[in-house]
Amino acid sequence: MIEMFQEWYDNRHEYVKNWKEKNGGKVMGYFCTYVPEEILCAADILPVRILGSHEPQDVTEPHIFGMFCPFCRDCLAQGLKGRYDYLDGIMIAQSCLHIRQAFTSWQLHIPIEYSYYMTTPHHIQSPRALPYLTGELKEFQKSIEEWTGKPITENDLDRGIETVNKNRRLMKQIYEMRKGDNPPLTGLEAMYMVVSSQMIDKEEHNRIHEETLNELQNRTLDRPAGERLMILGSEDDDTEFLSMVESLGATFVVDDHCTGSRYFWNEVTPNENRLEAIAARYINRPACPSKDWPERTRLPHMLNLAKEYGVQGAILIQQKFCDPHELDIPAIKKLFEENDIPTLFLEFDVTVPVGQFQVRVEAFLEMLREEDLF
Amino acid sequence: MAEEYWRWKEYNWHSPDIDWKQAESVTAGVDVGSVSSQAVIMTDGQLFAYSNMRTGSDSPDSARNAMNWAMEETGMTLEDVQYVVGTGYGRVNVPFAKRPITEIACHARGANWMYGPGVRTVLDMGGQDCKAIHCDERGKVTNFLMNDKCAAGTGRGMEVFADLLSVSIEEVGDMSFDVEEEPEPVSSTCVVFAKSEATSLLREGWPKSKVLAAYCSAMAHRVFTLLERIGVEKDFAITGGIAKNSGVVKRLEQEIGFEALKPKHDTQIAGALGGALFAKALLEKERKK
Repeated sequence: MIEMFQEWYDNRHEYVKNWKEKNGGKVMGYFCTYVPEEILCAADILPVRILGSHEPQDVTEPHIFGMFCPFCRDCLAQGLKGRYDYLDGIMIAQSCLHIRQAFTSWQLHIPIEYSYYMTTPHHIQSPRALPYLTGELKEFQKSIEEWTGKPITENDLDRGIETVNKNRRLMKQIYEMRKGDNPPLTGLEAMYMVVSSQMIDKEEHNRIHEETLNELQNRTLDRPAGERLMILGSEDDDTEFLSMVESLGATFVVDDHCTGSRYFWNEVTPNENRLEAIAARYINRPACPSKDWPERTRLPHMLNLAKEYGVQGAILIQQKFCDPHELDIPAIKKLFEENDIPTLFLEFDVTVPVGQFQVRVEAFLEMLREEDLF
Repeated sequence: MAEEYWRWKEYNWHSPDIDWKQAESVTAGVDVGSVSSQAVIMTDGQLFAYSNMRTGSDSPDSARNAMNWAMEETGMTLEDVQYVVGTGYGRVNVPFAKRPITEIACHARGANWMYGPGVRTVLDMGGQDCKAIHCDERGKVTNFLMNDKCAAGTGRGMEVFADLLSVSIEEVGDMSFDVEEEPEPVSSTCVVFAKSEATSLLREGWPKSKVLAAYCSAMAHRVFTLLERIGVEKDFAITGGIAKNSGVVKRLEQEIGFEALKPKHDTQIAGALGGALFAKALLEKERKK
């Protein structure tokens, strides 16, 4: 069953087109994981995260600054090339300027029925962030209701919350299994699981999840786990990179990515005021570095993950020009190395220079490995 | 045909004093780099023979050629070599190697043998990349940093300049000191930009030596920033082709504030040498089993 996640990811556009045909529902393309999927699910809208395709392209040059990240470029390219032509709406929850540029260019140049820019507080550590975001969610709910012509009831919200929560819970249970000496799945498989959950009907995803969870009880990898690695940093669905690293005999056991643990780590704690409960979840989630200040709450969280999962080395990887992440890198590096977890820093572009990355990763693994050469 | 100023000396060498047939272990390291390839053969951990040549378009061929050339006139054949380690960009394409090991590990190990166990920082200035490596007293890597996305500060960049100025690559370093006062460095971020800059400087009437000074200084600065990011701990040693270029080395030493160890061997063979030493350790482990 676990293969299903990759199949979904590889054929994401076909999946959504078929979903639409079958369900006749609306599809919302979204740009950042601060988008409240609970409200979309409550309105029976399918949330689909817009991701790049990791192919060189030249269509975004007139629209995006040269020093903006390759990810925002790659996302916009998908729109300009018409690969998301099935979307009924697009939206973003404000996180960083780069991805917002992709969103606004999309709004400007690709005709679409509905688009929504959701303000999301940056200063989430302020006590005023919760009422602020709750108010924004209320506005957003109203906008969705106007678009669909159908009110979202409290029951709908409860259903939306539970569907998304269940999805998170299942992923966390599978992550839990990676703590053991012999993780039953690779980091690549875990990545397929999480990114596919960002584009597949959550209820359907949950069903496959439950089966996968059972299947994994009796599964072992067909090779020794090797070095236990953590991967952390900005948006990352570079399956080619993960697959290259794991082909060298190591295994990713945990991550801090918005295409990984950061996306699903905490649930909505139900509360009479549904929107406030949802807002609290996004404020308390493991933060994106663009929102993680003045205190860096990511640091103890990531170190904790590294310790709980028995991590021997960490790969810090970020999209080129991703300033929020880049600003955190020296602090993360220092903290991990003080805790005897060596780190390797790499920068992504739209395509990965596999040869250049491979020599660095191999040398990093040689450094971690036992002393058979001496 | 125009003269090829960039062409550095390709050669082979073997020790006249060693009878390899008496050796208990014969091991080799083959370093197929992006620009040059070397094969080093060691007998009982002593340097016996090596070759240093340009890498061709085909990695397995380059590996075979380097190895055959190192063995030339020694009476040795490939069957006599008990363990071969492949390293460099083409490390997985050395057909007769038992195991590939990265050039990062090999350069640290090679520098440890060449310069002694006191070496803590190794700077490998190779053909198309540049690595700053920290290692322990055994030559095991403890940390490293590689330049990326750019050929500035590498041998290939220096070849481009030798060619542009029609100065033999081996004379570039010394000639760069033939200036009254040190000029500002040229662009240090891109070989092609630096070359355009140099072309306009020549047009302005700068002598070749001054242009070379500006380029060597840019290159020294470029690798210095790489070293600074990882920190330079003594002893400090340089490997790779650019280690032979005094124009870069002396300027780099000035920036760091102390001198690099003086090489006793060809600095280009450090990677292959490290490979041959790893091959010896692996062979011994195999025999113990």
